[in-house]
Amino acid sequence: MEVKIIEKDQVLVAELAGRLDTAVSQEVSLQLQPLVDNADKTLVLDCKKLEYISSSGLRIFLTIRKAAAAKGGKVIVQDISSEIRQVFMMTGFLNLFEVTSSDK
Amino acid sequence: MAEEMKCLTQEPSEHMLVMDNDISQIPLLAGFVDRIADQTGIDMATAMGINLALEEAVTNVMLYAYPKDQKGAVHLKAILKPDSIEFVLWDAGVPFDPTKAPKADITLSVEERAIGGLGIHLVRNIMDDVSYKHEDGMNILTMIKNIK
Repeated sequence: MEVKIIEKDQVLVAELAGRLDTAVSQEVSLQLQPLVDNADKTLVLDCKKLEYISSSGLRIFLTIRKAAAAKGGKVIVQDISSEIRQVFMMTGFLNLFEVTSSDK
Repeated sequence: MAEEMKCLTQEPSEHMLVMDNDISQIPLLAGFVDRIADQTGIDMATAMGINLALEEAVTNVMLYAYPKDQKGAVHLKAILKPDSIEFVLWDAGVPFDPTKAPKADITLSVEERAIGGLGIHLVRNIMDDVSYKHEDGMNILTMIKNIK
């Protein structure tokens, strides 16, 4: 699992690559802390290379989303696979996040 | 030809995975599901769903079944049948029935949503049947996924 954060024009983009499972979630949570700290800005979770996510990963997404709701920022989940979209549907996360595709 | 027939009518095959109650072993589930997917020919989305449900059920056992700092085994067996896969998860930890956990409300707003509680919700949604029993000092969770 790899996490890369890029900041440009007041937007924080976190590129997530690999499998976000319980085994790595604590580490990923720490790596994504800058997004929580900057939750007044626009935050993009780039999931183009995210292969898998379990509830431990969804918890991290929700923590970021809650921080943004509290501080007036915005969270965009970008380019989730159809499999991960199904997980978002099952958990009601499609209603909590702005989910976009970079192709459009 | 006779050999082939014999092969087709054999007993349903089984896969076993034994883990410690250590979440760093969660990635072992991916290989376990890959082997089952290869044998059954289930599609990628189904395989990922199974991986996810198993991770949620196994994580729950790893984190809560045994007292903190006590090593314990987590057993997972998959029984491959013609139209379903039966997963049996067992441990010798504290009796706990995850099927009795309160249902997650997924219609709540961002502010109202709880951070936890999604694990068993995913197991229930992905698997077609989930049942629990406590027998001979073991927690036994049986999860059935229909595949045809």
